[in-house]
Amino acid sequence: MQPPELVEVRRGPLLLAGVDDGAELRAHRERVGPLPAVDLARLVDVVGGAAVRGRGGAGFPLARKLATVAGTRGRRPSRRPVVVVNAAEGEPASAKDEALVRVAPHLVLDGAEVTARALGVGEVHVVTSQDRPAVGTAVDVAVAERAGRGLRWTHHRAEGRFVAGQASAVLQLMAGRPGLPVTSWAPAARSGHRGRPTLLSNAESWAHLAAVVLHGPAAYAASGTPDEPGTSLLTLTEPPGPTGRVACARVVEVGHGSRAATVLGPGALVSPLLVGGFHGGWVHPREVPHLTVSAHHLRSLGLSFGAGTWISLPEGSCPVTETARITSYLAAESAGRCGPCRHGLPALADEVRGLAEGADTRRRLRELAGLVTGRGACAHPDGTARLVATLLDRLEDLVEDHLLGLCGGEPCRTAPLAVAR
Amino acid sequence: MTRRVGDDRRRLRVDWPECRARGLCAELLPELLVLDEWGYPRVLGPVDPDRTDLAREAVAACPRRALHLVSG
Repeated sequence: MQPPELVEVRRGPLLLAGVDDGAELRAHRERVGPLPAVDLARLVDVVGGAAVRGRGGAGFPLARKLATVAGTRGRRPSRRPVVVVNAAEGEPASAKDEALVRVAPHLVLDGAEVTARALGVGEVHVVTSQDRPAVGTAVDVAVAERAGRGLRWTHHRAEGRFVAGQASAVLQLMAGRPGLPVTSWAPAARSGHRGRPTLLSNAESWAHLAAVVLHGPAAYAASGTPDEPGTSLLTLTEPPGPTGRVACARVVEVGHGSRAATVLGPGALVSPLLVGGFHGGWVHPREVPHLTVSAHHLRSLGLSFGAGTWISLPEGSCPVTETARITSYLAAESAGRCGPCRHGLPALADEVRGLAEGADTRRRLRELAGLVTGRGACAHPDGTARLVATLLDRLEDLVEDHLLGLCGGEPCRTAPLAVAR
Repeated sequence: MTRRVGDDRRRLRVDWPECRARGLCAELLPELLVLDEWGYPRVLGPVDPDRTDLAREAVAACPRRALHLVSG
C-alpha cells in the first residue's frame, strides 16, 4: 500500500491556521512572530499545563518525557541529550503529518528548536519517510531557510514501510542500522540514540509544543476543554481502493471535546468506523455519532487517537472483508524478526480471510489474537490483534450478518471524496 | 527503575528479535515458561523469590542470550 493519492487540508485554529498563507519562513514569522528563548523549567511547565501528548497509543505526556531527558542529561558526551522530530508516517491511510509538514514545516521545526535550545543541544534530527518525497522536500527547503542560526539539522529518510516510524526503528535508522524495531529495555528519554537521553516525538507533538510557546498557554487553551486544551489532527478517509491507495485523505484540526458529527459526513455517521488507523479499533455505527474527539473519552471506550486516522466504510462495503484486506497487508508488513509476529500475523490474516469467505473462524481468531499480543519488539502484533478483536467484539452483529450472508457486502468500493482546497 | 508497590518480584522478558525458538528455557523452567504452537516461549507470570536461581539458570542457558530477568 502507498500513501494517499490526494491530501485535502482544511484550515484549523492552531496548527493549520496558515494553510492559505504559504509554508515559507517569512510567512510563518509574520503569522506567529519571532521564536522566543524559553528556559527549561518554564518549557516543562507550559507544555505540562497545556497537556501536550505524544501520538503513540498511550498518548504519553510530552512534558514528562522532557523532564526525564532534562533529569538524565549530563555534560559527558554519552549523556548529552538528543532531539528527534519523527515525521515518518508509516500508516498508508494517514496523512496528518504529511499535511502538517507540507503546510506548516516551520511550526514543527520551531517546536524542536526551542526545545533544543532549552536543553543546550546543537543538533536536531528529523526523520521522514521515503514514500512521501514531498515531505522530505518540505523539510529540506525549510531547514535551508533556517540556516545560520547556530543549529544543525540532520535529515534521515526512513524506508516507506509500516513499522519504520516506530520509535525504536527510528533510533536504529539514526544509528546507521536497518530502520526496523528492536527491543527497548529503557525509555528513549533515558537511553535512546546511542544510549543518550533522547526526546523523540511525533511531528504533530512538536507543532503543539511550538503553538503553546508562540501563542501562549491561554490562546492555546481557547480550543479544547479545560482538561484537554488544544486540538488534534485527524485524517478522515475511506479504506484504500483496489489499487492499494487511499484516493483522498482529508486532514482536519479539531478542538478536543468536539463531537464526531462536526467532523464526519452524514454517510460516515451511520457506518462502521475504524478509529486510530490500521492498529486501531472498530466502532459500531450506533456508537459513531456519540464519539468525541478526546483522549479521555476514547480511552473510556478502549480506543485511542493512535495514528489519528478515522476510516469509515462506504455504503455497501463489509467490515469483515475490509478487515481481511487490512490484516493481510499488516501481516506482509511484519519485519519478520520476532517469531510470534512472523508466524502469528500470517495465520491471523488467513483466518480473517476465511471469515470473509464465510467460514466461522472466530474461536481460532481469538486464540491467535491472544497469542501475538505483547510478544514483539514493537506494537505491530498488538495493533493487528486489536483490529481483529474489535471486529469480533464491537461489530459482533455485523459479523453474524456476514456469516449468514445478510451483509450484502460486495467487495469494497471506494467513492472518491469531493476535493476542495 | 520503577517498581510496583508491594510487588518487587522480577520478571522474565524475551528479546523477541533474538529468540529463535530453541526451547531450552521452557525445558528448564516449565513452571514459568511454556512454548506456543511455533515453539516460542510464553511467560506465565512474575518470578517468585524462591525461583530466582532457577530463572537465572534458564537465562544463562539460552544460546541466543534472548531471555532476560528484569526488575519490576
